[in-house]
Order: sequence, then structure tokens, then C-alpha cells
Amino acid sequence: MKTKKIFILSAAVIIFTLLSGCSAAAMGSDSWPGLSADAETAYIANGGLVYAINLKNGGVNWQYPADKADAKEAYFADPVLTEDEQLILASAGPDHSLISVNPASGHLNWSFGDAEGVWVGSPLVIGETIYAPNADGKIYALDIKGSFLWAKHISDNALWAQPVSDGEYLYITSLDHHVYAFDIARKEIAWEIGLNGAIPGQATLDENGVLYVGALDSTITAIDSQSQKILWSTSLNGWVWDSAVVEDNILYVGDLEGYVYALDTEDGSLLWTPAQPNGPITGSPLVTENLIIIGTEGGSAYAFDKDGGSIWQQNINGKLYTNPVLGGELILFTPMENESDIVLVALDLDGRQVWSFTPEK
Amino acid sequence: MWDTYLIIPMTNVLLFVYDFIGHNFGIAIILFTILIRAITWPLTAQQLKGTQGMQELQKDKEWLGIQKKYKTDKEKLAQEQMRIYKERGINPFGSCLPTLIQFPVIIGLYRAIITSLAATPLSLLNLSRNLYPFLDVAKIIPLNSQFLWMDLGRPESIDIFGFAFPSLAVIVVITSYIQSKLMTPPSNPGDQSAAMGNMMAVYMPFLMGYFAMTFASGLALYFITSNLLGIAQYAMMGRANWSNLIPGRK
Repeated sequence: MKTKKIFILSAAVIIFTLLSGCSAAAMGSDSWPGLSADAETAYIANGGLVYAINLKNGGVNWQYPADKADAKEAYFADPVLTEDEQLILASAGPDHSLISVNPASGHLNWSFGDAEGVWVGSPLVIGETIYAPNADGKIYALDIKGSFLWAKHISDNALWAQPVSDGEYLYITSLDHHVYAFDIARKEIAWEIGLNGAIPGQATLDENGVLYVGALDSTITAIDSQSQKILWSTSLNGWVWDSAVVEDNILYVGDLEGYVYALDTEDGSLLWTPAQPNGPITGSPLVTENLIIIGTEGGSAYAFDKDGGSIWQQNINGKLYTNPVLGGELILFTPMENESDIVLVALDLDGRQVWSFTPEK
Repeated sequence: MWDTYLIIPMTNVLLFVYDFIGHNFGIAIILFTILIRAITWPLTAQQLKGTQGMQELQKDKEWLGIQKKYKTDKEKLAQEQMRIYKERGINPFGSCLPTLIQFPVIIGLYRAIITSLAATPLSLLNLSRNLYPFLDVAKIIPLNSQFLWMDLGRPESIDIFGFAFPSLAVIVVITSYIQSKLMTPPSNPGDQSAAMGNMMAVYMPFLMGYFAMTFASGLALYFITSNLLGIAQYAMMGRANWSNLIPGRK
């Protein structure tokens, strides 16, 4: 009998340990890195630490926090550079702070910690106002110095993507399958359109006021923001995770089945046979003057020309979930789960690796 | 292996129930718990039978006789005890089995809850890879984690005068205590195993309450449902020892 009780107590301790091991995931503190860059510096939000990397040599300019990672913060949203030289960082950790640091020094400017949920998507800065979507389903407005202005409920489900705006409306996508047009002046939802799948990524807004929205029902849909009508919807092979990119009336997008598409923005028709690199595509394509560049979960970077022809391929050790970013003349990728613990790889425009960055342990 | 044979099947069953009943995750957890209880019903019945059989043995003359006769010969004592177990049809480990089953269920359910709720893009991506084809994932996602006043993916508390009161954890402690007490058969004074049982009846509810307070409230909902079903099951089988709930009575 005594042995049985000891056994039960021991098992309870084991359960506690196992459950504790899962609790970090429950609190939403694990995802892929966020990345942004200007002409000289790349900024990587990689969980508990954010790095500013010198694009010339891959060296660290600074890290935030300067000494060690804060276990209660998890920065994964793409850092946002503002015109008045702030770097806004959003945390999905238990403390879920929205903070501003000096992009030159990494010193903290201000911190906002009053949101109810975590920050998965990046905030959008328009003029003197920061609009931040939260997993609690609200959009928060702060002034550029981090003072709270207002918060409005948008959805009962999480908002994971950075809004886009034409200056009059914020266009907000939600996991609740809806696209919302939020009137900035009136601080209320002007209209909404329901689609057939959750929308984890950002909408894309073109110069004609057309929104392009990819969803987890494997479709991409064009919505006229003026008439609030769906113009067309095209079925793809897999879930569309992040936003499409529009250039010269062509829509470039990847899906989780690992296809890259070029669609005519007029009617959503395919312009060339979808290319199929070596794995699922979660990030938006990077479109340069001549190239369409994507990264795959299979760990390769691919460049296509505007007709879908393959230009180059570069194997990068690790899963490439984050959008590739152009920093100066370099193409930046943030690999995950690689043996060398590399968190940033820089390629030149011909696909040759220039340098990589591995944080010190 | 752990994921393939426990977490993923439990996640899929949970999501199937969620989809079937109209997208209420709280009700899905309650129905899932009923399902688990129904599957383990024979084991619980065996546990009760085993516990009662063991208790009766403590008063049995033959049993007491061999304890006395072979108190210096442990090997012989073990042989004789096994013989009596066999003759009376008692499985001495039968009462452990439902407890053993509970542990992987608790871990599996907890993992299934947090996997299903997919709080980050990476967790949602991983969820999409682990769902069976019969689920229409595009329609199910995102899961509605709200149930009554709770977010089932987070620890629960109610704000009372600025104090975060963990109401579900308190209910877990109370229902676990009641269940433990109802399961404990009447004992004789000086019965060491009964004394230890009484101690466990106090400590285990607090341990479960601590789990409920610390982890996702969906787990607390499972504990409460499971405890209430356990109490109902003992009552239906006529084995509930209600007198144990009265203070001062053994």
C-alpha cells in the first residue's frame, strides 16, 4: 500500500514536470523570428532577444536586452522602424509588452504593457500614431511616445497580422475568417467581409484600392475596398499563410503545398505554371527589380525571373519561415532549427552567401 | 511515439467533438472527459473491487494468521499472500490501473488543449500537419477558447475586490477531496494503510488544485468533470461511503 502511494506521488511529480514543459507553448512563446532591415542594419526579433546586425560584416551592433533574455518576453513580430527613428518591438511572451528602442543603441525608449493578449503581428505606424493588432482581438492605438490613446474591439478571435492602410481606413485581417475596414477617424468598423478560412497573414493593398487576401481555405481573394465587393477568388493548391506581393499588375504568392504563383490582378488567372521548389512556403515573396525570391521550409532560397524561370537556388541550413528581406544589396533570411544555431544569413543578389550570424551562447 | 500514439489522436478526437457539437471547446472537453470515463469504466469498477477486496483481507483470519506465522520469512509470506490473492480472485495491482491510466490522459489532454488552441503561427502550422483528413481544418480554425468566463488556454481566476481568486482550482480541490473520501472504505483504528489513505485524500486534492491553478483552465475543467463523474459512478455502484464526508467519522 505504501509503495502504491509513493508511486502515485512520484507520478504526480513527473506529470507536473511534463506539464510545465508544455506551458511555455500554452502561453504562446514559441514561433519563428521577425526580421526587418534598412540600408545598413538588420533587426532580428528572435524570442527573448532582439539583435541589430551590421550588414557590412554580420557583426552585432547591439542586442536587447543588453545582458540576457527576458524569460517573460518573446519577440517574434517583424520589428518596425519609424520615421522618427524608433524601433518598435512586439512581444508574444507572458508579459506581452510593446516596446520602443533606439535603433542606433538598443536603449529602451518606452514600454506599453496594458494589452490583454499577446502581440503576434507588427504594429502599423501612420504619422504620429501606432496601430497595434493584438491576439485579444483588439486594435490598440498609442501615440508615437508610447502613451495609450484607445483600444477597439475588432474580433472575438486573434489579430495576427499587421494592418494595411490607405490613410482613411485600417484593413485588418483576422483568424475569424474576416477582413475588417476600420474607419480611423470614427474609430469604428466601417465594413467587413467574411471569407471561408482563417487569415493569419496581412492583406495586400494596391494603388487602385484593391485588397488581396490569402486564407487557410487555400484561396486568394481580391476585394474592392471602394465597393466592398469580392472581385474574384482563385483556388490554390495549399493554405496561403502570408501576404501576396503586387507589382506591375501581377500578384506573387506562395502556399503551404510549396507552390509559387503569379496571378493577373485583373481576374486572378495564372500567368505561368506554378513553380514548385523544395517545401512549404510561409513567407511572402521578396520582389526585386528582376527577381522573385522565396524561402522554403525545406531550407532553400530560390530566385525566379518574372516569367517563372529559375535563376538560382541556394541551400541554407534550417527552415525558412520568415519573409526574406532586402537590406542594402543583400537578401536576408532567418533560418530556424539548424544545427549551427545560425539566425541570419545574407546572400548577394546572385544567391551567393556573404555572411551568416550566430548568436553567442 | 508519444505524439503519434497519444497527443495527436487525442487532439483529433477533441477537435472532432468540437466540430460535431458546434464549436464550443468547453463542452468538447466535458464530452471528451465523459468518453474517457466511459472507456475506463471497467477499470474503475475493477479498482473499487480491488480496494474493497484488499480491505476485507485486512480483517480475514487466514490473512492475519499468515502475517503472524511468516513475519520473519518475507519470501514465504509473499508466496502465501499471492496464493490467497489467487484463491479470492483479487488483483493487488488492480486498484493502481485506473490511476495509471489517468496520468497519460492528463498529460495527453493538456497537450491536446494547447496544441488545438495554437497560440502562435508556429503552433498553428504544426497543428495543420497533425490533423486527420476527416477534419475540415480550414473551417475549424481558429478554435473558440472561451467557455463561460474562462479562456480555456490560460489559467483561470475571477477578480474579487482586486484579488485574482482561482475559483476553478478551488472547485477541483473540493471535488477531488469528496471523491477521495467517498472511495475510502471504513477502516479500523490503528489501520496504517487507512491512515495513509486519509493523508493522500488530503494531499492529492491540493496537488490537483495546484495543477488547476497553474496550467490551462481546460485541464481544470477536465478534473472537475472527471471528479463529478467519478462520484456519480461510485454512487451508482453503491460503493460511495458518504459517512466519510461527515467530520469526525471514520
